[in-house]
Amino acid sequence: MTDSSITNDRAVFLVDDDVAVRRGVAALLSAAEYETTTFKSGEEFLSALPDLELANAVMLVDVCMPGIQGLELQEQLNKDGVDLPVIVMTAHGDIPMAVRAMQNGAIDFLQKPFTVDEVTTALERALSVSPRRQSPLKDASPELRSHHQSLTPRENDVFREIVGGNTNKEIARILAISPRTVEVHRQKIMSKMEAENLAELVRMAVTLNIGE
Amino acid sequence: MDKDERRSLGDRFVDEILDTVETPIALLDGDGSILRFNHACETLTDYNENDVVGKKVWDFLIIDDEIEAVRQVFSKTQTENVPTHFTNYWKTKGGKHRLIQWSNKTVRMPKSSTVGVLATGVDITHLKSVEHSLKESQEYWRSTINASPISIITINDSGLILTFSKAAEETFGYSEKELVGQNINVLMPEPHHTRHDDYIRHYLETGEKRIIGKARRVKAKRRDGSTFPAMLHVSEFSDGIRIFVGFIEDLSEKEEIEQRLDETNFQLRHADRVGSMGEIATSIAHELNQPLTAAASLIGAVSIRLKKGECPECSQSIPLLNDAVSEIRRASEIIQQMREFVRKQKTAKSLYDINKVVEDAGALAIIGADADGIEVKWEMTPEAGEVELDRIQIQQVVTNLIRNAIDAMQGAPNRVLKISTARDNEYITVSISDTGPGLENAVKNKLFEPFVSSKENGMGVGLSISKSIIDAHQGEIIATNQKSGGCVFTFKLPAGANDRLVNHE
Repeated sequence: MTDSSITNDRAVFLVDDDVAVRRGVAALLSAAEYETTTFKSGEEFLSALPDLELANAVMLVDVCMPGIQGLELQEQLNKDGVDLPVIVMTAHGDIPMAVRAMQNGAIDFLQKPFTVDEVTTALERALSVSPRRQSPLKDASPELRSHHQSLTPRENDVFREIVGGNTNKEIARILAISPRTVEVHRQKIMSKMEAENLAELVRMAVTLNIGE
Repeated sequence: MDKDERRSLGDRFVDEILDTVETPIALLDGDGSILRFNHACETLTDYNENDVVGKKVWDFLIIDDEIEAVRQVFSKTQTENVPTHFTNYWKTKGGKHRLIQWSNKTVRMPKSSTVGVLATGVDITHLKSVEHSLKESQEYWRSTINASPISIITINDSGLILTFSKAAEETFGYSEKELVGQNINVLMPEPHHTRHDDYIRHYLETGEKRIIGKARRVKAKRRDGSTFPAMLHVSEFSDGIRIFVGFIEDLSEKEEIEQRLDETNFQLRHADRVGSMGEIATSIAHELNQPLTAAASLIGAVSIRLKKGECPECSQSIPLLNDAVSEIRRASEIIQQMREFVRKQKTAKSLYDINKVVEDAGALAIIGADADGIEVKWEMTPEAGEVELDRIQIQQVVTNLIRNAIDAMQGAPNRVLKISTARDNEYITVSISDTGPGLENAVKNKLFEPFVSSKENGMGVGLSISKSIIDAHQGEIIATNQKSGGCVFTFKLPAGANDRLVNHE
C-alpha cells in the first residue's frame, strides 16, 4: 500500500446485494480514503450510471448476485462502451469465474473475504489504467512471455490446471502425479513467473491466453 | 361204435370245440388257402366260413404291407416244421384292421399230402392301443415335467434318484442318465449331504413332516461343487412304493438382481445425502461468506484507522486485527472446501451405455407409479450409445427428474410419464416429460437455485443438485412447458466427452 499516492478524488462504485458487505467494505474503503458509493444490484447501478462521474473511478462488483450478475453487468458496460475499470469479487476458490471475468475485461479479481492490502492494491492498479482504459492485460509484455517460455512442459500443464480452478489434490489426480510434486511445480511456477499471489498468476494466465 | 363212427363223432366234436372257443383258429392248406375258419374268426372278420374256404389268406385278409412277411413266416413254418409266432393285422370285411398274435403249428394234410398250418390267434388290438396310450401319456407327463423351468426330481424312500428333469440337468450340471440310482445327497452341501439319509429314516419311522409340504430356502450343490441358493418344495405320493418329488427353483439370478437393485438404491440414497449436503454447503458457503466478508472488511477499516492514530496501544492492536482477518479467511476457506468437495468431485467417470444407465435408475424411480395410475412410456433410442459419465451421479439426476414428474402428476386427470433418450453429433439427450400442470413462470426462472421448492415438503435441493451434476459433466439441463400440457426436463451430455482435461469454458 502506497500511502503517499492517496488523494481524495478516487471513487469506488461498490455493487453487492448483501447489506452487511456493503457497509463493511464501504467502511474499509472510506478509512482508506476512497470515495465510495454503494449499489444493491446491477439494475440499481445501471439506472444511476448516467449521473455518475466515471473519471478516476473503479467498479467493485460481486459476481454472484440475484438479477443481473456481475459478469452480465460487466458485459453490459462493455457493450455500452462505458469506460470503467472493473474488479470482480468472487468466493474463495472460484478461479474459473475469475478467469471468465478477466477474459471479459475485468482488471482484477478479489476473493472474498479480502485483506486491506489486497483490496487497496487491486484498486490502485485499476485506477492506474483509468481513465482511458487500455487494458494492460490485452498484450503480454516480452518479459512476461519470456517468463512463460521458461516453464517446463509439465509446469505448463500444472499452470493450466491451477488457472482452471483445480486444487493441488485435483491436479495430482488429473495429471497422475503426487500432490507433493504438484506443490513443488506450483512454487516453481510462481517464482519463474514472478507472481506474488494466485490472483496475479491468474491475471498473467489471462494475458497469455492460457485457460481459454 | 365202429372206427368210422368214432371218427365222425370226433370230427363233430372238434367242429364243436372250434366253434365254441373264442380264440380265432384257422387251418390253412399247403398253398395257404383256407380249409377251416372257426366262429371266432367269423366274428373277428365278419366273413362267413363258406365265403372264405378255398381262398388264400394273403389274397384278402392280410394288409398290403405285411403280405410278404406273412408268406415268409408261412413257408418257414412249413419247411422247418417248427411252431412259429407272429403278430400281424387282419383286414375285416368292413376294412378295419385287427392286430392278432398268432401261434402257428404245422399239420400234415392226408388228402393233399402237403404240410398245412394251424394258426391260433389272440386279438391284441385293444391291448396294443392301451399300451400305446399309456406310452403316450407317459411321454406327455415326461414332456410336461421337462418343460418346467423348475427342477423336478423324484426319489424313492431310500433317497435314490428315480427321475431327473431337464431343468434339473441344466441347473445341476448332471445328466439324468448318470444320476438315476444315485443318492439324492450328491446334490447337497454339508451338513445335509451326510444327514439326508437320516432325515428320510426319521420321517419313515415317525411320520413327522419336517420339510414335506413346506417351501424352504436351501443351499444346493452343482456338479462342479459350487453351491447356489434354491427354493425347495417336497411332496410325497405312493406308486406301490413311496415316492418323494422335489421341486427346486434356482434363486441365484433372482437374488443377484435383488442385490443389484439394493446396491443401486443404496448408492443413490447415499449420493442423494452427500449431494444434499454439498448443495446445502454451497448455499451456506455463499450465505456465510457475505457476513465473513463484512466482518473482515470492518476489521480492515478499524486497522486502517488505528494505523493513523499515534497511540502505542493502537499499533499493538493492529497485528491482532490482522490475525482476526486471517481467522475469518480460514473459516471462509473451510466452508468453501465443503462446497468444493461435492462440486468438484469428478468421481468414477467411465464409458456407460446411456440407455442402461437411464433404465436402471428409472426402474427404481417408477416403483409405485402403477399404483398412482401413471402410465410409463419408454422411448429409448438404441443408437444413443455410450458416453463418459459418473453413473451414480447421472442416475441420481434421472431418479430426481422422474420422481418430480410423478409428484407433478398427482391429481392430474391424465398421467403419462415419458422417458426417452436420443443422440445427435454433439449431444446425448435424456428427456423426462409429464402431463402435470406444467411450470409457473415465477418458478421457472429460479428452478435450479437451491432452496426453491414448489413442493410442500421439498427442501428445494433436488434440481440444484441435478444442475451441479450436469454442469460437472459439461452438459446442460433445461426445463420447458409442453404445448400439450405438462413439462419436460431435458439434459444433454457431450457425446464425445472422452477428454478429461476439458476446459472450464
